[in-house]
Amino acid sequence: MNLTLTHLFAILPLIIVGITVVVVMLSAAWRRHHFLNATLTVIGLNLALASVVWVYFAGQGAVAPDLASSAVGFPTLVTPLVMIDGYALFYMALILVAALACSTLANAYLEGLDEHREEFYLLLLSSTMGAMLLVSSIHMVSLFLGLELMSVALYGMAAYTFKRRVSLESGIKYMVLSAVASSFLLFGMALLYAAYGTLEFASLGLRLVFEDSVGIWTLIGVGMMVIGLGFKLSIVPFHMWTPDVYEGAPAPVSAFLATVSKVAVFAVLVRFMIMSPTFDTKLHTVIAVLAALSMIVGNLLALGQTNLKRLLGYSSIAHLGYLLSAVVALRAGVTDGGGELSFTGQLVLETTGIYLATYVLTTLGAFGVVTLVSSPSRGQDVAQLHHFRGLFWRRPYLAVILTFMMLSLAGIPMTAGFIGKFYVLALNMNEELWWLAGTVVLGSAIGLYYYLRVMVSLYLAEPGEIQRDAAHDWGQRSGGVMVLIAALLTLLFGIYPQPLIDLVQAASPVGY
Amino acid sequence: MEFAFYLSAAVAILATIGVVTGLNPVHALLNLIVSLIAIAMVFFSLGAPFAGILEIIVYAGAIMVLFVFVVMMLNLGEVVVAQERAWLKPGVWVWPSIMAGVLLGLLIVTLLVDSTGFGISGETQTPQEVGTLLFGPYLVAVELAAFLLLAALVTATHVGRDEKRDDGRGEGVK
Repeated sequence: MNLTLTHLFAILPLIIVGITVVVVMLSAAWRRHHFLNATLTVIGLNLALASVVWVYFAGQGAVAPDLASSAVGFPTLVTPLVMIDGYALFYMALILVAALACSTLANAYLEGLDEHREEFYLLLLSSTMGAMLLVSSIHMVSLFLGLELMSVALYGMAAYTFKRRVSLESGIKYMVLSAVASSFLLFGMALLYAAYGTLEFASLGLRLVFEDSVGIWTLIGVGMMVIGLGFKLSIVPFHMWTPDVYEGAPAPVSAFLATVSKVAVFAVLVRFMIMSPTFDTKLHTVIAVLAALSMIVGNLLALGQTNLKRLLGYSSIAHLGYLLSAVVALRAGVTDGGGELSFTGQLVLETTGIYLATYVLTTLGAFGVVTLVSSPSRGQDVAQLHHFRGLFWRRPYLAVILTFMMLSLAGIPMTAGFIGKFYVLALNMNEELWWLAGTVVLGSAIGLYYYLRVMVSLYLAEPGEIQRDAAHDWGQRSGGVMVLIAALLTLLFGIYPQPLIDLVQAASPVGY
Repeated sequence: MEFAFYLSAAVAILATIGVVTGLNPVHALLNLIVSLIAIAMVFFSLGAPFAGILEIIVYAGAIMVLFVFVVMMLNLGEVVVAQERAWLKPGVWVWPSIMAGVLLGLLIVTLLVDSTGFGISGETQTPQEVGTLLFGPYLVAVELAAFLLLAALVTATHVGRDEKRDDGRGEGVK
């Protein structure tokens, strides 16, 4: 199979990000200029985002009908590895938006660093590229390659401010545990390949459908893959690294880790489960138990945290638990027999899409505020809860935004987080997964406590407290603008979610 | 039959156990080389000679060269030679030598007699076929692997840079 112009147009977003990596590398080699390289990165990401929209509409034949017939087919299979369809494009757009937000945050954060600020953008772009490959992969090779590309760059990002011991520690911790997870994933893939002789999701699914009972080695293989992906998603009991890495890594990197990497791995997990469904009940029971554990343990461990970044780390564990409970609904299969997507399948895709989008917005907003308040030149990241005490009296707008993000994470109505949680509950009800629905409610109830605790400390006036503060003109800086936009979108989708729902409904994976 | 596969696989596992249990880094390194060569033999017996050769060239070869360079650069004196003699007890070198000997014997036997059925049955993948696959359907993977290496390289140079010999503009102090 040769690459033609059609394929190149389809992977245009990936190509643009790749070109940006090279351009930023050459520019940093030519002259170390922070603003120039940051601008190049943002331009590249914006172009990639525009090309995602263009590929989508060109594929639909809406923008350029002559091009649609000749050059751009949609969905397009680019080599056996990469499938560009509505699903991939939606998550690519989500990843690019999150990467843009993280690079604006990083711009504000790195200003406080004395030297070598340029490599960060290179790593961020490479990691974004890996994430984009992940969401469009339909083959084990591209899954693994995408995962490694994303993670290897993330090691460097987590350890970027390596003069701070915690940052270096978080990078090394993430690297070691990530390598263990990758080896689990590889072993699982090898077992599946030994059993079925194929690495493509679709043909793997075809073999599985015709089997009456799944063999023990297949089950172990899929189980090892779940462990590997569970590590990356920080599902309990594979969550040990999460709080330490979130705490130690620079705040923009924590934001990137909590959004981009989670979105990409979850999207590929759902695609894998849909394209090669195993109807074995054992696997789905295991996933249900993991989801329930993540919700309960994540929320319980977050209760005692005094560090906002650790708290957000534990909260992300709980949120991934809520999301994973949506995957359990796939146990009945996603087709209605005629090759069409069943109502359940539709609902699962909608739930994951909407939950991930709202989660990304909210997390970006929360980490954005943390980034604006902290700076590397002043030693540790300012993330202890007492640093935020009385923030309202110093920076009222920032405090209001953080409050709003906490409400959204807790899933209070009028925020985007509520829409996501509503979908998860509706899906669980629809599938009659009563105990899982009960766990979601219980987890949310526990979660409300610590989210409220953060909010309360924002409004407590405490004279004589150490003044840790954002820059005075934070609202005019790119990072501040990003935080404001995230807050406004969270509010908008909380009140009027229809545009988001339409977007997600249009983003169905290939074949459906 | 298939004993070529099982024998090399067993050697690979034993040697790797030797790597992780070894206390002396140099001994662990020697065990690692035996393990890598054994894995190369596994590739040969699986009908993937290209992967086997790459394994030897890239892993065993590169590590050996690095090892030799390090030994050359450490200016060896009389004391070190005496120390080496004291360290190199039969208990240390006998076991890796046996494993390497097994691999060598296996290779010689396979080369001398008709070795059909010694390995796992299946098609033998020539370098040409691997090449057409890599630059055909897996072209995107090859290109992206380049970015993976770039990211790893940038990470390593950033984190591993020597602070004291750095003037802040990325140029080492002369």
